[in-house]
Amino acid sequence: MDFTQVIQAFPSLGNGLLLTLELTVLAVIGGVIIGTALALARLSSIRVLSWLAGFYVNYFRSIPLLLVITWFYFIVPFMVGWVTGTNQPIGAFTSCLIAFMMFEAAYFCEIVRAGIQSISKGQVNAAYALGMTYPQAMRLVVLPLAFRKMTPLLLQQSIILFQDTSLVYAVGMMDFLNVARSQGDITGELHTFLLFAGLVYFVISFGASTLVKRLQKRLTV
Amino acid sequence: MIRFSNVDKWYDREHHVLKNINLKVNVGEVVVVCGPSGSGKSTLIRTINQLEPVERGEIWVDEVQVNNPRTNINRIREEVGFVFQHFNLYPHLSVLDNITLAPIKVKKLAPAVARERALELLNRVGLAHKRDAYPANLSGGQQQRVAIARGLAMQPKVMLFDEPTSALDPEMIGEVLQVMQDLAKSGMTMMVVTHEMGFAREVADRVIFLDHGEILEDTQPEWFFTRPQHERSRQFLRQVLAPMHG
Ligand SMILES: Nc1ncnc2c1ncn2[C@@H]1O[C@H](COP(=O)(O)OP(=O)(O)O)[C@@H](O)[C@H]1O
Ligand SMILES: [Mg+2]
Repeated sequence: MDFTQVIQAFPSLGNGLLLTLELTVLAVIGGVIIGTALALARLSSIRVLSWLAGFYVNYFRSIPLLLVITWFYFIVPFMVGWVTGTNQPIGAFTSCLIAFMMFEAAYFCEIVRAGIQSISKGQVNAAYALGMTYPQAMRLVVLPLAFRKMTPLLLQQSIILFQDTSLVYAVGMMDFLNVARSQGDITGELHTFLLFAGLVYFVISFGASTLVKRLQKRLTV
Repeated sequence: MIRFSNVDKWYDREHHVLKNINLKVNVGEVVVVCGPSGSGKSTLIRTINQLEPVERGEIWVDEVQVNNPRTNINRIREEVGFVFQHFNLYPHLSVLDNITLAPIKVKKLAPAVARERALELLNRVGLAHKRDAYPANLSGGQQQRVAIARGLAMQPKVMLFDEPTSALDPEMIGEVLQVMQDLAKSGMTMMVVTHEMGFAREVADRVIFLDHGEILEDTQPEWFFTRPQHERSRQFLRQVLAPMHG
């Protein structure tokens, strides 16, 4: 075990970690937004809309994430080119980000939907009784209350997403794990590097999940 | 102000909850609705702001038919305040924000104006000192008084109350009834579902007795308490008045 090699590799490891975190944060934001839209569609009284959203969720929850990542890597540049009418190359980062957003949206959708359904009918009626429209009641009362209840679950799901970003090695992206592995190969200290990577993943994930538990206690009081 | 003509309502197509309802509430009147549990009192007053649709008949508020598909029901709801049995304050907002939310977002009132009006109303219900508190930190009686202020902040023409004191501990009922009595004195048109017969006797201009979805009595309190027309109303009165004399 030679940890000096790890220390020397800090700059590139740092870049990898930055990419991992960037991907996580953007995917969570996009995933929650798409997931909320899907949840509203699923709960909509318009049959077609709720059926389509239901199909989307069931589909993405039934296929492996790795498949989505590789598939989107090929298909996204084509789609973007078709939409914009240009032929600019799309980076692996963008296609991975879109893959994660759309995949995680299916999971976020189910969390948001449960959250919306947990808000009492009385609160919704109170909003209507004051003259609010359906979008106003959703935006001003139901969603803020639902997000309050859901925050721990959403964060828990985000921690899983953080770990899953390591799958981007499949399309050759240098995320934290991939940097650690290749540095390990180069220096012949693979074990040391993997041990270190595991430690970093553990500290971040466990730390975040401990924070979530504390937050959960605060929110339920 | 409020008029029902030949209104019928069914739940699930078979349960006939409102049967040929005809009634009128004039401007400035206070009408108490009472009747056994399950007789349709909540359903009746929820049809006025269309929280419950009806299958037959017409309901009018002022010169507008509320159960007409072409009516913008949100405009009606702005003018019809509703106070729920379980308060239904917004737990994520402070007392002041609970009151100003709809005036700002629905009525598009300037926040400063809405705030000033809310403080005035809080004064009126005796809770100015609680303006920054959250609902969870208020007693039931205080929450209900805030809910009344929230309804009044929209400057409604009518206030509807659905058993506003039945979820309260006995010692808090008085403070809420007092606020409602003051409101009645100020000339507000009110329809109140309640079992508080003292309030009916003191404050109401008329009492309506509902049983199995039918209006059996619609009369002055004096007549209702001394000369009820139906056996069912006599029985009901014996039940609700008994504990007070026992
Ligand atoms: N949403 C609903 N669906 C079906 N039945 C209902 C619903 N709400 C109320 N009911 C029934 O309608 C009847 C009248 O209810 P309600 O108006 O709440 O009576 P009250 O307020 O006088 O106790 C009751 O038998 C009740 O079970
Ligand atoms: Mg009721």
